[in-house]
Amino acid sequence: MTTVLAPVEGAAVGLSAVPDPVFSAGMVGPGAAIDPCRGPGAAVAPISGKIMKLHPHAYVIVGDDGRGVLVHLGIDTVQLRGKGFRLLAAEGDRVRAGQPVVAWDPAEIEAGGRSPVCPVVALDALDGTVTALAEGAVRAGDKLFQWT
Amino acid sequence: MGERKARVAAEVGLHARPAATFVQTAMKAPMDITVARTSGGDPVSGKSILQILALDVRQGEEVVIKAEGEGSEEVLDRLAEIVSTP
Repeated sequence: MTTVLAPVEGAAVGLSAVPDPVFSAGMVGPGAAIDPCRGPGAAVAPISGKIMKLHPHAYVIVGDDGRGVLVHLGIDTVQLRGKGFRLLAAEGDRVRAGQPVVAWDPAEIEAGGRSPVCPVVALDALDGTVTALAEGAVRAGDKLFQWT
Repeated sequence: MGERKARVAAEVGLHARPAATFVQTAMKAPMDITVARTSGGDPVSGKSILQILALDVRQGEEVVIKAEGEGSEEVLDRLAEIVSTP
């Protein structure tokens, strides 16, 4: 059982609310999303483990049990090629759940015409294993969902 | 073993959208699917989005996709098409 934490502060929403069918249709996998507070802040690690992949706009943390969680900061933000994101850790680093990984400002993303909504996905999770989705306001580091 | 080589066409490389499409298609196939860079490196499972994202292939890189058994040719054609479509 893995407890996945909210990587950013904001309103927890279902993946189906993400304005991108790749995420909303669960194509990348099950999970949840956060409509983040507009304002500068740090996105944190949703689980403890190793940063397997770190792009300015998205990262994957893999736990010691081999489970990987993807955090994607905003939609179509790959197009920004890193502009507006500042790395606070490095690929390969071991991190604790709740540790800052990327500094960014969702308001800046929104001002650029993109959705700042952040999908949080349990990669390769089997059907029905993602449960107890948080509802309403969450702070970074609060429980977001359970992955059994 | 059947195999196809394909050059990654998506500007974002094999990430999120193209990776998800690839894995969704691979998962429907009854046989194992592996993906590796033709330039070298261990093959990964085409059915694991985690492993495909870890592979981190960029636009312009070539991958080799392998599958064997009944129906593998059609699956390989489909997967190669996904990789090489911008």
